[in-house]
Amino acid sequence: MMLCKQLNEKLDDYMDGTLDETEMAVLQSHAESCESCQQTLKSAQRLRKLLQDCPVPMPDAAYFDRALAQATRVSTSHQRNRWIMTGFGGALAAGLIAWIIGGVLLKTPDLPDSDASIPGVVIALEVPYTVNLVFSSATELDGAVLTVSLPPGVEIEGFAGQREITWITSLKAGKNILPLTLIATTAHGGELLARLEHDNRDRTFRIRVTVT
Amino acid sequence: MDISDHNRNAIFERLLRPYLERLYRLAYRLTGSKAEAEDLFQDVLVKLFGKLEDLAAIEEPGSWTSRVMFHHFIDNRRRFARQRLLSVDESQLPQKSIESLPGVDDPEQDAERLDDIIRLGKALAELSDDHRLVVLLHDTEGYKLTEIQAITGDPVGTLKSRLHRARARLRALLSAGATF
Repeated sequence: MMLCKQLNEKLDDYMDGTLDETEMAVLQSHAESCESCQQTLKSAQRLRKLLQDCPVPMPDAAYFDRALAQATRVSTSHQRNRWIMTGFGGALAAGLIAWIIGGVLLKTPDLPDSDASIPGVVIALEVPYTVNLVFSSATELDGAVLTVSLPPGVEIEGFAGQREITWITSLKAGKNILPLTLIATTAHGGELLARLEHDNRDRTFRIRVTVT
Repeated sequence: MDISDHNRNAIFERLLRPYLERLYRLAYRLTGSKAEAEDLFQDVLVKLFGKLEDLAAIEEPGSWTSRVMFHHFIDNRRRFARQRLLSVDESQLPQKSIESLPGVDDPEQDAERLDDIIRLGKALAELSDDHRLVVLLHDTEGYKLTEIQAITGDPVGTLKSRLHRARARLRALLSAGATF
């Protein structure tokens, strides 16, 4: 019984082979003749084997290619467009602004808000169209998460086939612009959602996309 | 390493590719679901691309990238809400997972093994986050305690006792189910 208790207490070290030689020999000898300890060891070995075999559903190799490509695209695009603290004149001069959501500050905001009415944009099938989202923020927001959800048949240039894209970004105090180049692949249209999250708070912007 | 605007993407890919599978597995072990793992993995890749100069200068990119992922997960834990650690529903298991387990080719054994995996998943879900992580990284992924220390920053002694407690708790939970 004494050795049974000892084996139970030192089961991990016993199985890891980290006990000193004398103690190991004593416990081994005991285990050979003790049915209860044999059962304990068998269960422990079974658990280890199961843990070793715990599956991870691995994605295919193409997933890693896509993830790498998206990481560089998002970062590059992010650097290029980095929530430009505007900027309207510059953006207009560059011919980027096709449409703007006007930002309206809330009274006690950490997060910016948009107009209550749902703005809309009309785009032609298969013709790239750059929409500038303008966010006004009362304070600097570091580590904000922006998720853009697209209606069926509308894509963001460079992100073919993706209905939802997430950026991690920072907003400066004031106006911040995010240009998105939309391409309609079908005539459905629908609502584009831009969800901004920061510090456990979030705000969702809705944009009606009509395809002609 | 000479990093310029035109070769950033190529350097990033070359440096990171050897560690992608390990990183993805870590993402899955941290989040416990494919969807959350993919979100975490993608987030971290974006973050690492922004730290390309650091990545190029680091001696052990494997540990460093794992550490970046771990801390990103901790900082955003609420966003990566844990649904489950292991798939506990047969339909959630990867296709052919049972067939891929070594030494199993008998239908009865398959069923028994699947039952064991499901029970193990439930038992793991009972552990605290710290205990679950150390047992999965050490016993499942084969990390050494020093490698886990490099990721989490916890001392090896702490990790070792945590691992022993986690295993003991797992054994207790599983033996409570009688036949294990």
